[in-house]
Amino acid sequence: MQQNFQTKKGPSTQAQQMSSMAPPDSPFSKRRKTCPFVAAKIDDIDYKDIETLKQFITERGKILPRRITGVSYFYQKVLKKAIKRARHMALLPFVAEE
Amino acid sequence: MVKQRNALYEGMYILSATLSDDSRKKAFDKITDGITQKGGKIQKIHELGRRKLAYEINGKREGYYYVLFFDAPTSAINELWKEYPLHEDLIRFLTTRRETVQESLEFKPLKQQV
Repeated sequence: MQQNFQTKKGPSTQAQQMSSMAPPDSPFSKRRKTCPFVAAKIDDIDYKDIETLKQFITERGKILPRRITGVSYFYQKVLKKAIKRARHMALLPFVAEE
Repeated sequence: MVKQRNALYEGMYILSATLSDDSRKKAFDKITDGITQKGGKIQKIHELGRRKLAYEINGKREGYYYVLFFDAPTSAINELWKEYPLHEDLIRFLTTRRETVQESLEFKPLKQQV
């Protein structure tokens, strides 16, 4: 019984920590994400660079939307092409199995 | 007369991993010869080696990867694309236009911005 109680308590304490991490002054303002490619000053996204491409796909292999990753409009188009090329060369999966 | 234009291309080729070393080398020579015969010039060869394919292609789970950088007339690429599907040991190919030759295929990781 005691163990059950403890496990139930686990996630609630995590949630409390998360809420404390949010900026206290304005709870509704989201921090604008910066484009990782603009920040790194990369001029071209290579389809052979699988490690960076992997950061922008889901576990299933889908391309993550811009609103989650914060990639700029321009680089999302470059990234899209790179991922699709990598998929064609079987470097990345079209659909990943669990 | 249309003037011939040369351009730098990058080609990635996946050969069947089930081949022996000799026959793989022969299959790869067939690709490089095809380029040189069409008036191309090979600048750089990267051998990425055996890799697991992300998905099964024609019952194959592994492939042997090559990356080539070559100068070729633009008209030659069209002819090469017609030849490649007839190549038995070539699983996949991709040719793209490039500005510069990549000397190494190592990439810097993106800086993680908080």
